[in-house]
Amino acid sequence: MVAMKLIPHLLSWVAMVLVVLRGFPERRFIVTNASIAGFTAGVAGSFILFRLYPGDLPFGIVRGVVGCVFLLLWGIAVAAVYLNLRELQLFQGKKLVNTASYSGFVAFLASVIAGTVAACRLSGINGNALEFVLLVLASCALAYALAYGAMFAEKMLPASVTVSQPALIATVVALLFFSSSHLIRLDLFSPLSMKVMKFAHDFVHQFFESMLIPDHLFIRSYLWGYIGLLFGKEIGFWGGLIIWFTPVILIFLSIRFELLPSVAHIRQGAQRRKLLAAAIKERQFRLVIPLLALLFFAAAAYRSSFPSVEYWDPKPVPVSANPAGEIFIPKKGEIDLEDGKLHKYLFKQGGTEARFFVLLNSAGQLTVDLDACAICKPDGYGQAEGTVICYYCKTLIPLETVGKPGGCNPVPIPFTVKGDGVHIDGMTMIKIWSATVQATSRIKEGGK
Amino acid sequence: MADNIIEMSGLTRSYGDICALKPLDLQVPGGEWLSVMGHSGSGKSTLLNLMGGLDRPSAGSLHVGGENLSTLTEDGLARFRRDFVGIIFQQHHLVPYLTAVENVMLAQYFHSVPDEAEARSALDRVGLGHRLSNRPGELSGGEQQRVCIARAIINSPKLLLGDEPTGNLDHKSTVMVMDLLRELRAEDKFTIVMVTHNQEVAAWGDRTIYLDDGILVREERMGS
Repeated sequence: MVAMKLIPHLLSWVAMVLVVLRGFPERRFIVTNASIAGFTAGVAGSFILFRLYPGDLPFGIVRGVVGCVFLLLWGIAVAAVYLNLRELQLFQGKKLVNTASYSGFVAFLASVIAGTVAACRLSGINGNALEFVLLVLASCALAYALAYGAMFAEKMLPASVTVSQPALIATVVALLFFSSSHLIRLDLFSPLSMKVMKFAHDFVHQFFESMLIPDHLFIRSYLWGYIGLLFGKEIGFWGGLIIWFTPVILIFLSIRFELLPSVAHIRQGAQRRKLLAAAIKERQFRLVIPLLALLFFAAAAYRSSFPSVEYWDPKPVPVSANPAGEIFIPKKGEIDLEDGKLHKYLFKQGGTEARFFVLLNSAGQLTVDLDACAICKPDGYGQAEGTVICYYCKTLIPLETVGKPGGCNPVPIPFTVKGDGVHIDGMTMIKIWSATVQATSRIKEGGK
Repeated sequence: MADNIIEMSGLTRSYGDICALKPLDLQVPGGEWLSVMGHSGSGKSTLLNLMGGLDRPSAGSLHVGGENLSTLTEDGLARFRRDFVGIIFQQHHLVPYLTAVENVMLAQYFHSVPDEAEARSALDRVGLGHRLSNRPGELSGGEQQRVCIARAIINSPKLLLGDEPTGNLDHKSTVMVMDLLRELRAEDKFTIVMVTHNQEVAAWGDRTIYLDDGILVREERMGS
């Protein structure tokens, strides 16, 4: 089962090796071996990281590294467009690209990250030192077989498909994103779209607050219908997509509008035109790789928006308060509160329905929280891979921080653990629910 | 041998039971103007089509510009025609809804990329600088044939094939076209193979071969 889950990560890495090989056709041996070494080092490094820092930190580090690579891609894309517009060529850069050490470095670095991402899939495995060594050796053997397979496949590709350096980086980053999108804790698209949504929200909020709106005379009520769009989920999604795809599109355009070689010195017209036609054709073929990068980014965004992870999402169990107004939930009964799963409940009082959940956090303590946060529409939470996830904005909240207030965390509810169960004040529950839901109810249904 | 642009040995072309070209041996040196004469059905056009890569031999070998046309694939033949051959037909085969310059640019497009300035200059070379924007229907037969010549030479072919290029022209236009071809050959150094019924037209060449029922029956060098 775990092996099956590794397939997308391994395929992404093989595709990455293939593209890097095509990017450095004169350095096949170095690229292949640097890729194998990088992948193995990534796997080993990842295991060490998980052993040293159990919890969410290693995921944060890996996600941060992938995010940094994306920032690098942005830089490269902007530089490619700038150089194209100014009709410049970096001769020093060309010299560097042609060196064996550069090709080896690119292959090694890309494979280290790819190996680390793939090994995150195995983060739950806790073995002794011997098992660790065996696992690393196995990954090395697998990487060896796959990398040489990729080299064989690359040789079969048509010679006309060539790779420019910016396109190579774009494809490597796209494949890293595609690989990491298969792990919900490494996913970058949902946090990005949430940040865009939050930025739009904060910007509009600050802007209107500074203009003393909504009491402003010139703002008619129907205008709020349009302004409300900025608070919807779509703004985050589309904003995220723009940030996600723009660098690859820039690289695509920089290739598309690359200058053709100067042929003015060739006297014979037919020969001149033939050279031009060959250059145009070669440029067209070079667009294949950035197009593939776009496809991989799209696949990563799709995986992120529609993850195949099955969330633990239990139906809320109705509970009621005793005459003293206290809700009591036994620790053991039909439901075991300490089984590490999120358990949802529904409490009704005076026409108000409040949803909440009880969960044993990673510190081994029970926590009671609203099935809603202080920011989003109260779509509730699900549980997956050591996190809870907000269904509205897809933010992942590590189990370690569940029970703490603020941001996207579920709003904590005061409770006591006495004897064999959890005691919660019903009135407090209703008050906190009402206050939270009222604050977030401005988010329109259409914005979901 | 290195100087021959066309070399054929035992070249045969049959259509079912009909043998249009019987085993033929022929060499054409680079830069020569070869006229091919014969009655209708003697195999002249068959020979021309084989030399131009428009048809494949049934037997024998045919090398044009170092390429063995018998073994080339369809793509290889298309590449050969594109890069090596220019053809002028009796019926012009110009696209009627394109202007003269656009007809020339069409040949550039299939060869590599269109270049209007170069197409205009080619039409200027054949004396049609003032008829660039006219469609074939608005040109005389001689003018249409000159557009064909511009179209045939625009991609700098090494071999120019003419299948009765003056068959539809009056005497004055014929002389004009032949003069033009001689001038262009002197400048561009291409080889011409021209099929004709007209002894006077054949005399513009360096050498004339006579075909009869698919057999080379006679060869005549001009001026000898």
